[in-house]
Amino acid sequence: MKQQGKDIGLCLCKVCRQLNSSDLTHCQRCEAELHVRDYSSLQKSWALLITAAILLVPANIYPITMLTNQGQVRHDTIFSGILHLVHSDMLPIAIIVFTASILVPWIKIIGLSIYLCAISFDIPISKKKLMVGFHIIEWIGRWSMLDLFVISITVALVNMGQLLDAKPAPAATAFALVILLTQLAAKVLDTRLLWDRLEPQDDTN
Amino acid sequence: MTQIESPKVVKKKLFSPIWLLPIVALALGAWLGIKSIKESGVEIQIHFPSATGIDVGKTLVKYQGLTVGKVKDIGIDEDLKGVNVKVMMDYRAKPFLNKETLFWLVTPKASITGVEGLDALFSGNYIAIQPGKGNASTFFEAERQPPPMQIGSEGVMVELTSDKLGSLDVGSPIFFRQIPVGSVVSYRLDGNQRVIISAFIQEQYARLVKKNSHFWNVSGVKIDASLTGVKVSSESLASILAGGVSFSSDDNADIAKNGDVFSLYDSETTALGGIEINLTMADANGVDKGTRIVYRGINIGSILSKQLTSNGVTAVAKFEPQYGALLTNDGVFWLEGADISLSGIKNPERLLTGSVINFLPGINTKTAVPSSFALQSKAPDLLQSKKRFLTLTSAENMGISAGAEVRFKQIPIGSVLAVKLTKDLSAVEYQLELQPEFAGLIRSDSYFVPESALTVNASLDGVSVKARDFTTLTQGAVSLIQGHSGTPLAANSALTLFSSVDTATTFYDRQQQVHLTLISQDGADVSQGSPIYYKKMQIGTVDSVNWQSKTEDFAIKLAIDKQFQPLLKKPHVFWRNSAVDISASLAGIDVTVAPLQGALKGSISLGLLDSSDKASNAANLKLYESKQLALTQAQAIRLTLPASSKLTAKAAIRYQGHQVGEVSQVKLNADLNTLTATAYLYGEYAEHFSRSDCEYHLVDAQISLAGIKAPDTLLTGPYIGVLPGISSQTATQFIANLAASSYANVAEDALKFTLEDNNLGSMKVGTPIFFRGIKVGQIDGYSLSTQGNSVLMQAHIEPQYSHLVNQSSQFWDASGIKVDVGLFSGAQIEAGSLETLLAGGINVATKDTTQEGNRLAAGTVLRLQHKAENEWQEWAPAQ
Repeated sequence: MKQQGKDIGLCLCKVCRQLNSSDLTHCQRCEAELHVRDYSSLQKSWALLITAAILLVPANIYPITMLTNQGQVRHDTIFSGILHLVHSDMLPIAIIVFTASILVPWIKIIGLSIYLCAISFDIPISKKKLMVGFHIIEWIGRWSMLDLFVISITVALVNMGQLLDAKPAPAATAFALVILLTQLAAKVLDTRLLWDRLEPQDDTN
Repeated sequence: MTQIESPKVVKKKLFSPIWLLPIVALALGAWLGIKSIKESGVEIQIHFPSATGIDVGKTLVKYQGLTVGKVKDIGIDEDLKGVNVKVMMDYRAKPFLNKETLFWLVTPKASITGVEGLDALFSGNYIAIQPGKGNASTFFEAERQPPPMQIGSEGVMVELTSDKLGSLDVGSPIFFRQIPVGSVVSYRLDGNQRVIISAFIQEQYARLVKKNSHFWNVSGVKIDASLTGVKVSSESLASILAGGVSFSSDDNADIAKNGDVFSLYDSETTALGGIEINLTMADANGVDKGTRIVYRGINIGSILSKQLTSNGVTAVAKFEPQYGALLTNDGVFWLEGADISLSGIKNPERLLTGSVINFLPGINTKTAVPSSFALQSKAPDLLQSKKRFLTLTSAENMGISAGAEVRFKQIPIGSVLAVKLTKDLSAVEYQLELQPEFAGLIRSDSYFVPESALTVNASLDGVSVKARDFTTLTQGAVSLIQGHSGTPLAANSALTLFSSVDTATTFYDRQQQVHLTLISQDGADVSQGSPIYYKKMQIGTVDSVNWQSKTEDFAIKLAIDKQFQPLLKKPHVFWRNSAVDISASLAGIDVTVAPLQGALKGSISLGLLDSSDKASNAANLKLYESKQLALTQAQAIRLTLPASSKLTAKAAIRYQGHQVGEVSQVKLNADLNTLTATAYLYGEYAEHFSRSDCEYHLVDAQISLAGIKAPDTLLTGPYIGVLPGISSQTATQFIANLAASSYANVAEDALKFTLEDNNLGSMKVGTPIFFRGIKVGQIDGYSLSTQGNSVLMQAHIEPQYSHLVNQSSQFWDASGIKVDVGLFSGAQIEAGSLETLLAGGINVATKDTTQEGNRLAAGTVLRLQHKAENEWQEWAPAQ
């Protein structure tokens, strides 16, 4: 049986990774506050996740870019932009954008909500699956900023007045917030809670 | 070693602040959602005839350059007549989407004056919207042409109406003092009569467009060629090519607003000629397009056009605006051309340039200026109101024509305006006007005589020839003879034109004569023109002698000169003058010869009566036979006498011996039994003796024992006695008796009574009645009683004695000698006077005092006693 740190009175500093005694309230090395288990992180993660989910709605409904082409103003939502790319025979780019702008946020939110549910409601999911999912979320999350990156570059580069002009539309803010909040939600979660829950099952396996 | 861990108390947080985040996000999302729902656009449909230039998702709807919508979809309409364009409009445009909102497609347009819709060249065509009123709507019909104005544009948009577009086009410049201040933005037809041109004036010049501004076309080149030279004018090169519009501005007027409508005139002249009026005329001779309107030699307008109307010609005239103030309600227009007359040529240049219309402004500025004036044929007279207008009448035209001078002392004071016949065609009427300063010359008795161009006066003294000027010869002239009256001529009264001064004098003399009509039994030997004399001085003439069938006499009309009129106010009479009047009497012979003229024509004399004579009557209009008759105002009567009477003319008519009349003529009637005597009663007595119960009788000499009665008749012949009547009726026909009635010569107030006896005895007319031997009366006549059994003697008692006789009186015959012989008494002889002895007599004695009760009534019949009682002699009542 694997032993857990808390069982032997050890506690890891979340900041500097120093192992401290559970008795201590502050890290010996960095004086950061020590928690054996941070149960409040679960709440924080939930809140951030819900906020992100809410913001996902305007991020998809409202146009994300405003393109003025020869005096003609064109608003594009995320989806209409992807469709536009598809129509423009730029399928690979469309796929990338689709993945980054739609798939990734959705996966993150859904994945996180599964983890949180698993922790909060003791849903029995195999440790291995959870771990794999967690890694994916961690890794892929940062790529969803791609869309915002493209927009910010376009806005900065395409500025020719009435002839051609691109501007971020309201959805860009919402979308950026969705990405930020999901990242935060993943970050703020004290993953040890997950491992705690997973251990016994692992044992039984 | 087990250490007891000190319990660690962890305060459980119920609710982490992190949960605020989703709440905020939720709120934000909800707000965004609501906002987006609120700001969602409005989808409308616009029907276009074609979709040319409209792209889905590309064509925008713009309002004043602001995008308010976008084309979403284009579909063909059901009946394939056009396309329905679905447009998503901005939510902010929602209030503009009303029934009258207009949409039209703007496409770039390039013309000579510039490129329009340049933005559309880059951004593509767009749909312009002009908000309108009405209910909200989502379906619209697109305009084919841009609407004339776009409210809200900077500057001012005005509409110009014109008959034709001319060379104007969209973009044609609008000039003000040759500075382009705007342009024509559109034009369209209004019905089939007018073109409406929308002109846009830029904002900085918008204030120049005033409510009363005039717009005119300055397209092309304007060449003005006249006698004064050639003038070429043009606004700008652009206006030559593309046309242009210029306008005027009035400092004081209000600034025009968007949408104000102005007329677009063809030229500056017509545009600036502010006031257009109509001139009506019978015919348009000399009036042509361009005929000038002139005031004091200055052009103030011209004729624009003329056209035939139902009652003549109406010309449209244009007043130049700066002279517009001259135009008043009572202004007068008249046509004036060159005038060639004997006195010279007036306005000879008009022979070339044509007639002009002269204008005379009025003074009445209060009433509104009418739109139509009548064109007079000749100049109005400035002094019209002050001039004196007169009407002359004349029996015939004496060579006077209209235009003839009116002169006074050979100085022209006016002229004859018209010569025409009077309405009833009975005379000639002249209309005269006199210069105001001479108006006072006319008096109520003024008259006019024609001037003769040539007067030749030949007399014993020599020959004088008077000639007047040439115009008198051609047109004639009339001279005013002022007259003496101080009163001015009454209004509307006509004066007379006489053929000469003499005629006029005669006329006026005659007019001033006093007219009288005399009634005469006969024509009196007078005729028209017979003179009338007063003391041998002619005072008038006979106007006419007319026979009047009704009364069978003659009416002689006299005209007495005015200065003798006072004579007529006094009592006067007229008598006829015989040519020679010989009156022979015992006193001598008086021969009166009438003046020669009167002797030839017959004449009438006027004589005055004694004014104290009451009987004189001013209205005595009888023509007397002779002066004497006249002076006594004799009244004619007619007497019928027995043929045996020896009455002759000139016999007197007497009453109580006084002559009261005279027989003028005695004529034996056709029946040979009677005579008719025409006689006159002297005026003062006529009243009494013309009563119907007057008695006329013939008085002839009677010789009897008692003496000779009327012995003068032995010499003069019989005369006629008359007794006055009492009847109120008058008569002129009387029957004269041969003898007078009993009381013919008895005083009126004498006591008259009748004595009755069986026998007349020695009684006769004139037998005296004695009272105490004094004659107090006499027998006036006798007759048989109607039964024939007694004799009635009419007697009277003189008035002064009448009180001595009353009912108690006794009358007895005292005629002759009464011889009473008795044996014892002896002889008694009684005799009265010798007269009674000869002529008989009657005594009277009265017993009682005369009182009211016993007064003797006239006509009482008393018995004539033959013998007196003794006691009667004793009666001696105190009377």
